[in-house]
Amino acid sequence: MESTRRNLLKAAAMLLVDGLASSRARALGITRLPDAPMDGPKVIVLTCGGIRAAETFHEDGFRNIPHLYGDLLPHSVFYPVVRNNGVTSHYNTISSILTGNWQRVDDWGKTPPASPTIFEYLRKRLQTPADDAWLISSNKALTSQIAASSDRAYGPRYGANVVFPKQLLIDAVVSAATHGRVAQTTDRTAMQSEIKTILDSNNYEGLGWSASGETSNLGSEMHSSLLRAIEDLVRTNAPVTGDEFTFLVSVEVMHRFAPSLLVINFSDVEAAHFGSYSLHLAGIRTLDRLAFELWNEVQTNPGYRGRTTLLILPEFGRDLDGSNTNGFFNHRQDHDSTRTAWMMCLGQGAKAAGVIGRPVQHIDVCPTIASLFGVSTPDVLGKSLAEIRA
Amino acid sequence: MNHRNSNRAGGAQDLAVYRKSIARLPLTLRPSLNQQLAQWETLFPFEQKHLAGFLAGIDSFNSSALDALTAKLRALEVKMDVNHWSFSETGDTLENAGQLARSSYFVEWRQEVQTIFNAIDARATGAVQTNPAHGRVILLFLPENLPVRSPDTWKRWGTSGREIKIAGDARDLRALVNGGQSGVCNLLAQDDTHNNADIWFVDADESLTGALPPTALPAASCLSYSALKPLRDEFLQELNRIPKDMSAADQTVTTLRQADWKRWWPAQLAGQERLRNFVVNLFLSGNGALIFSNAFVEWAASEALRRARPRAMVACFGMRSKPKPFTSIAIFENQQRISPEPDVDDPENSAIDAMILAHYIWLAACRYTEYEQALCVCVCEHLNTAYIVTPPDMKPIASAEPVTSETIYSWITARLTS
Repeated sequence: MESTRRNLLKAAAMLLVDGLASSRARALGITRLPDAPMDGPKVIVLTCGGIRAAETFHEDGFRNIPHLYGDLLPHSVFYPVVRNNGVTSHYNTISSILTGNWQRVDDWGKTPPASPTIFEYLRKRLQTPADDAWLISSNKALTSQIAASSDRAYGPRYGANVVFPKQLLIDAVVSAATHGRVAQTTDRTAMQSEIKTILDSNNYEGLGWSASGETSNLGSEMHSSLLRAIEDLVRTNAPVTGDEFTFLVSVEVMHRFAPSLLVINFSDVEAAHFGSYSLHLAGIRTLDRLAFELWNEVQTNPGYRGRTTLLILPEFGRDLDGSNTNGFFNHRQDHDSTRTAWMMCLGQGAKAAGVIGRPVQHIDVCPTIASLFGVSTPDVLGKSLAEIRA
Repeated sequence: MNHRNSNRAGGAQDLAVYRKSIARLPLTLRPSLNQQLAQWETLFPFEQKHLAGFLAGIDSFNSSALDALTAKLRALEVKMDVNHWSFSETGDTLENAGQLARSSYFVEWRQEVQTIFNAIDARATGAVQTNPAHGRVILLFLPENLPVRSPDTWKRWGTSGREIKIAGDARDLRALVNGGQSGVCNLLAQDDTHNNADIWFVDADESLTGALPPTALPAASCLSYSALKPLRDEFLQELNRIPKDMSAADQTVTTLRQADWKRWWPAQLAGQERLRNFVVNLFLSGNGALIFSNAFVEWAASEALRRARPRAMVACFGMRSKPKPFTSIAIFENQQRISPEPDVDDPENSAIDAMILAHYIWLAACRYTEYEQALCVCVCEHLNTAYIVTPPDMKPIASAEPVTSETIYSWITARLTS
């Protein structure tokens, strides 16, 4: 990505998180944020939509993942077979990963997970503040309902902050297009005015976010910065991806809040739904690059260095070539190609690097994370993975 | 049931009887059959025959036999609590699909459905006349402007066929296929039983369909992604208004299906209600058909193979533009509306897309017995080569020497007239 473009996205991400921090401080009636906890374990989970083994950890796929395969695999505990035995839709899969139980709720995120999420287990048992758990997602199939379950003993008071950075950009650009002014003009002033109107009419709730349980207006500093960034993006002709922006916002959250548990969800690979294999592969290469950058960030960020476990896993595979569900386009076939993903574990929890041939499941992630924090999860179906330990 | 003579099936009386047959099945089997019946007039001849045959298959079971066949599925429906779902019996909906997929009994349900369909299909076989022995061809063109990389061009196709070098200009083959008196349209039109669902031309732009002689057009089903642009733009705009809610999505889909798109259709589809209905269903079924030309070609060809079982499928891929700012963020939008920047071709990635999607069309054909004896020719004009899958009853191509377009075309015509 062109460096000036990335700098602009980075500035937008930084100021967006500044806005979150300042609005939270206002909501709490405090002039400075509480210090982020600097000791104790940290866990980052990076999920990424549907990817088949054939395009990644396979002879023909290695070229798409030079960092995951060449740089990170040798230092990881790697599970080549991670089964998704639940509903292979995005909302249900992420909910299953977070809860340790196969979730079968509304695919469009109208209802929360039916059993407690890892966010709730940790925040309730460890009595940690709201800033200690975040979910930052590119995928518009998720909603803020994923922050916490409908379990009355837990629920939103122990939930995570949920932010959809890509949705902010989508809302801005789609709304501008809907009013027809973008197509008619290349006039920057007109564009600026269009996006300003959009940003002025949105707040966190309008963007589908759930940040510290409030719906504050965008801070003025962040507002103007986003305006500048989006204006620049509209004027140029280079691709910009939602995952890039999600990554940058995630890094800013790490700097600002240093949460103990951060879940990042990418979705560039889902361009496959539109039938472009090349864009799907580009999404895999973006994941590969950003996963490596995230790991490097963990190594250099004082809040994370030496205490962080990073888990990287696709939500599922994709359908088999020749299936009546149109192959890589979709992820709804009851077949190994769709139900099998992989998982890579790096850092503190990965005590002995190696490949674990035993099949594991997506629902094993929740109890595994809990065990890293010394928290029990008695009501989950998934099993804690012995190879990943504190 | 004598009224099931497929030559005269489909009158109001027949449809009423068909509905009664469907009503004998468990609830979760009814939506797709009822939906097909509701669109009877716009079904392709193969679909009408197949549906009539399937329903005859149901009626061949007396009550106790059908109860025995469907007992497990009915019991599953009780466990799944289907009666308390918001489940449409009249047609397939997103909500139906979502509810079924979320059920913990979904895998069992699918297995039972397959068992029942297999049993009914076995009884229906005599009623469905598809004539698999008819010579069929699948012709796929990767145009010269797609720079396919040579080392692993055909790797995806495995050992199903073989690569041959084309002597002379590979583009000549397209001209021969399209050509006036000797083109495939005229060839098939000479058959007394021919109808325009028997031959399809599916095109990313108009390099294929635009070159057809006017006399050939009525004899074929012709679809061009670029010719459909006004309709696509309007359709996409309406589709993107769907709120993020499944019931609202179903409502919008119904509205879009019934909307009057008259002013947006290209002239080539004037009066072709069945083909227009096919396009609307294609756009509503996703799979990128509204977004990328090559996805349109693949999905339209695959659906045509499934629904019409044509004797000849001719598909030509094309170029897509490079992503503009926000394309990857709002990929579902009309990029020309989003950005004032001019389109810029993306040849390398268009070639990557076209290569896998061409293979997908062949794989789609391989799912149906009608294509067991089909000849498949996939031409890569950039490399002046073709990958040819010959059917078991055709003499294998032995020569390692380059072959002319005329020779390849002679294989095609021989197959179609066999």
